[in-house]
Amino acid sequence: MTHPAVELDGIWKRFPGVIANAGAGLTVRPGTVHAVLGENGAGKTTLMNCLAGVYRPDEGHVRIDGRTMIFASPADALAAGIGMVHQEFRLVPTFTVAENVVLGAAPRVLDTAEIERQVGEMAARFGFQVEPDRPVWQLSMGERQRVEILKALWRDARVLILDEPTAVLTPQEAVELGEVLRRMVADGRSVIFISHKLDEVVSFCDEATVLRGGETVAASVPVADVDASELARLMVGDVAVEAVPIAVAMPGDPALTVDNLFVRDARGLVAVDGVSFDVRSGEIVGIAGVAGNGQRALTDAIAGLEPVEAGTVTVMRTDVTNAPPQRRFAAGLAYVPEDRLGVGLAPKLPVTENAVMREFRTLRRGPLLNWASARAFCDRIVERFEVKIGKRDAPLAGLSGGNLQRLLLGRELSGKPDVVVASQPTRGLDVAGVRAIQRLIVQQRDEGTGVLMVSEDLDELLSLADRILVMNAGRIVGEFNAREATRTQIGEAMMGTTAEASA
Amino acid sequence: MQRRLRIILSVLFAFTLIAAGCGDDDDAAVDSGGDTAADDSAGDEAADDNAASECAPIKPDDTTSSVDASDVTAAFVYLTDPGDAGWTWAHHRGAEQAAAATGATLLTVENIAEGSPEFDQSVRDFIADGADAVFATSFGYMDAMEALAAEFPDVDFFHATGYKSNDTNFGNYFGRIYQARYLTGLTAGAATETNEIGYVAAFPIPEVIRGINAFTLGVREANPDATVTVNWTSTWFDPAVEGEAAQALLDGGADVIAMHQDSTAAGERAEAAGARWISYNSDMCEYAPNAYLSSAIWNWGHYYALAIESVADGSFAGGGTWPGMETGMVQIGSLASDVSQEIRDLIDQRSEEMIAGTFDPFTGPINDQDGNELIAAGETPPDFAPEGLSLLGMSVFVEGVVGSAAG
Amino acid sequence: MRGGQPIAFVVGLVFALVVGAALLTISGDPVFDTYQRMWDRSFGTADTLSATFNRAVPLALAGLAVSIAATMGLWNIGAEGQIMFGATAATLVGRIGAEWPSPVLIVAMLIGAALGGALWALGPGLAKAEIGVSEIITTLMLNEVAVRLIVYLQTGPWKDPDGFGFPQITVKPEGSQLGIIWERSHLGVLIALAVIAGFAWFVNRSVWGYELRIAGASAKTAAYAGISMRKKVLGVLVLSGAVAGFAGGVELAGTAARLNENISNGFGFAGIIVAALALMRPSGVALVAVFFGAVQVGGQSIQTLGVSPAVAGILQALILFGAIGAAVLSTYQVALVERKVVTP
Repeated sequence: MTHPAVELDGIWKRFPGVIANAGAGLTVRPGTVHAVLGENGAGKTTLMNCLAGVYRPDEGHVRIDGRTMIFASPADALAAGIGMVHQEFRLVPTFTVAENVVLGAAPRVLDTAEIERQVGEMAARFGFQVEPDRPVWQLSMGERQRVEILKALWRDARVLILDEPTAVLTPQEAVELGEVLRRMVADGRSVIFISHKLDEVVSFCDEATVLRGGETVAASVPVADVDASELARLMVGDVAVEAVPIAVAMPGDPALTVDNLFVRDARGLVAVDGVSFDVRSGEIVGIAGVAGNGQRALTDAIAGLEPVEAGTVTVMRTDVTNAPPQRRFAAGLAYVPEDRLGVGLAPKLPVTENAVMREFRTLRRGPLLNWASARAFCDRIVERFEVKIGKRDAPLAGLSGGNLQRLLLGRELSGKPDVVVASQPTRGLDVAGVRAIQRLIVQQRDEGTGVLMVSEDLDELLSLADRILVMNAGRIVGEFNAREATRTQIGEAMMGTTAEASA
Repeated sequence: MQRRLRIILSVLFAFTLIAAGCGDDDDAAVDSGGDTAADDSAGDEAADDNAASECAPIKPDDTTSSVDASDVTAAFVYLTDPGDAGWTWAHHRGAEQAAAATGATLLTVENIAEGSPEFDQSVRDFIADGADAVFATSFGYMDAMEALAAEFPDVDFFHATGYKSNDTNFGNYFGRIYQARYLTGLTAGAATETNEIGYVAAFPIPEVIRGINAFTLGVREANPDATVTVNWTSTWFDPAVEGEAAQALLDGGADVIAMHQDSTAAGERAEAAGARWISYNSDMCEYAPNAYLSSAIWNWGHYYALAIESVADGSFAGGGTWPGMETGMVQIGSLASDVSQEIRDLIDQRSEEMIAGTFDPFTGPINDQDGNELIAAGETPPDFAPEGLSLLGMSVFVEGVVGSAAG
Repeated sequence: MRGGQPIAFVVGLVFALVVGAALLTISGDPVFDTYQRMWDRSFGTADTLSATFNRAVPLALAGLAVSIAATMGLWNIGAEGQIMFGATAATLVGRIGAEWPSPVLIVAMLIGAALGGALWALGPGLAKAEIGVSEIITTLMLNEVAVRLIVYLQTGPWKDPDGFGFPQITVKPEGSQLGIIWERSHLGVLIALAVIAGFAWFVNRSVWGYELRIAGASAKTAAYAGISMRKKVLGVLVLSGAVAGFAGGVELAGTAARLNENISNGFGFAGIIVAALALMRPSGVALVAVFFGAVQVGGQSIQTLGVSPAVAGILQALILFGAIGAAVLSTYQVALVERKVVTP
């Protein structure tokens, strides 16, 4: 009989104060796409890191094709045919696609043209669309992901681990990825697909293993035999999963007006190309689009983090086009940036210091910060937004993703804003976290705040937003009523394939 | 920065970079700790048997003493390590000879920066180790030694090249090396064909300026048309810098190189260029046997033996001492075989006159660099003078020197 | 230091001493006597301990200066020059106020030193903040300028009129000498402690310090919080320079007789190591500096015992590397891993 491609057995992994894996197991049959499901913190990533040689399990066995392996490093794992595509890509932005693919595994003499040809051939074989000679910094997130997958294939990975691969993809790109995975499987390889999006699992995967609290609660369930709600129940335990209730929007006057906005990015390229729209009080406007089509530059420019080349930004009739971020905040503009830890928070600093990042100017006593007030301020946010923290003075980095986002959103909402600009506010959060953040956003809308929400999760926008604007190549290429639009319509607009819709 | 700290720095800096690298996967570049210190050994090959010139260096070692000073501990503080042939080498050799001759115990410490707290620290270490006499062999130790002499009245303090002293336990000492430099100038003036002589000099201080002037007076006595061009290095000891400075002078047309430096680098450049060289501190003919012409050399052992004797019998009472050729403390080294009999005779004659006190190179008439009278006919500047020209305070160049005495 | 660091410190120190013993044995020096001497001459007696404290003063202040810049990810490699120029500015004040009452003169000189150091760092600060020129290059280059400036003053305008033509600057005024507080320790020890403690307190408590931490976290976060990176970069480099300059003033008033180019004596560079070993935490520099000073003083003392300067230097590096280095490393997890494939 054939051995399983991968067999993880009784894996324990402890970190100081945390047990990430408590005897977790996983068996992957060769030639299948196998989903590993679980909420954030369920131990999925740790388990995969044990397989990929990033961590060494404290106990338990790793068997590849029936052989027991002990990996000292990711290189060992790779040599045994295990390749992993991490959530954060590990690419050199100034190198070309081909150079990145062969980096570290290149022939001694580098013939660029030959390598580009080989990489191109390999990509074609698996159905990828990439240009091997393009520098990586020019690529979208979806394209970069393909480069990461190609890297693993170039090293002849027999088992490919993808950690939440669809987070950065459009629906169409996600479908394409599914096709690529099928071809790889047909080639005799195996794919481990980490996700907490149930619909993807159902559409891409052959079998699913569900983790909860570091343990395997369901092993190798054939996906065809179960429905999504059963998987969801396994993932979250017996907690009921319910959608965020949405009332009918009662939009009022424009709270945020963006008029003919032009923004150049750090490389001097036009990132936002003449964008105009309103967000009225009490409505949620969603911005859909493939990552890298100007959404970040748009929200950064609205928030004052990116200089505006032309056009205006008005918040509650105040022109803030050239105002510094703190003046915009005072004018009623709250901002939840896409890069929480790199922009919105300072992970090495204590919780308190992160909580007062917007308000510290009002909490000063002479040259000193009034720490009693700062702590009280922090406590109010923690209490009101149900942020689970350890010590108030401990570095923020110890918080889970969901709590980080609650703290960030709580801080932004504490100024009672008229407009909230939220970029990818639920990305990377677990189911409970996503619901909590979504509920807060909807609650804001219901209280009369205008919300501009950028998301790459089309389902999220369809369920939360009142209107959806679609961005492509720095322009708004479509506007849809979220109650009436379909995924396909919006998806086509995202790819820029439809004529400009009436805005 | 001193060499010692440099070792610590390179080891630790490399280490901290590695440690920093551990924390950050993306930035694993590790510096190996930088360049190693410049090689400070100038080569120690003995005379080459096949060399055109025979080399018979004069190494003063006639230090004798009739006093038993075996209960004296004499401690020496050096600016650099003794190395092979320079300033500190000359002192160290003298200290060893004097210690051997008197039976005194010798303690040394090297690489002590001037004007740093390290000097104070070393002297206290010596005193804790039982030193009866402390010798400081560089100018910049003067202020610290003055304070220590006041704090430790039972210890005798000797400071080279400075001007401070008291009348109990703190004295300064130096030698009239300018007399020997004048004699080497005679050989240089006779040897130059281009009439351009280069002088690699450390710092524009009276000691160096006086030496350049005496040398130039010797040069012009033998060859009134020759000039001496000065190139300042701003370092006492740095073979690379000294070599570059000498090369610049050679490239500028000089065919004889003299120096006030502590390494043999200038000689190696002169040797390579087929030019001539006059060494300082010791007779360095072994280092550049073809280039070597003559040398102005120290015999510190002679003075150190006397000093240790004065410590042993309790006669030391501070003050200043500045002996010349009459004591054997300074002298001219061996002469190259091609130095003419005429010049040899002149050297012998001037040596005798200086030993007898009937001749001084600085006796006028002497003009300054710009042709104005500096020293009137028949006059000789005093050793010390609060105002006006003095030998110990000399700060202008005499006629025939090209370059700025301000550095 | 916290957690397992004291243990790592001791283990590292023992390890370094064992390796050092091997080195001393090879070089033919007495192991026990050498270590005994190092201890005696650094911590062993009140007299030597007080000298170690004096040595730690410039090391600690230079370390503080470097660590201040490091909070923003900036490297002040120019503490050496800032110390020199700080001492030069203090000398200028001393020349003007030679007749002032001693406390007034000393306070004025130290303020002058801090301003001098700040001025010396202003150029690199502006260049970094306004046009992004690497502060590593500019601060390093200014070290050489400071040396030249002092040499110029020695031979020119500030030449000692009583120096018989020797190129040296006039001795400092009598009233500028810092008083002795304990054995040989001068008041600078307390001043340095106060400055370090005061700085740590101010950074922890003040809005300025808070903004500094945000700006140090990331430029984007700073922009988000409405904090000007330009002002922070400039402010931090100037403050770093001021602290280094202050160190020069304290060194001049505490231990030196007059200004010369060796006033910095490598302290500015050693400060980089002090700061690194203190993990760039201002609160750690005092302890590290005392240890560093002790190793310097003790390491020098064994030369008079006959240990060659090269061996003494390596021994110093070993002990610093071993003891403090181990304490620093203990913040990282080190594991030995086997590498094998088992076939059933």
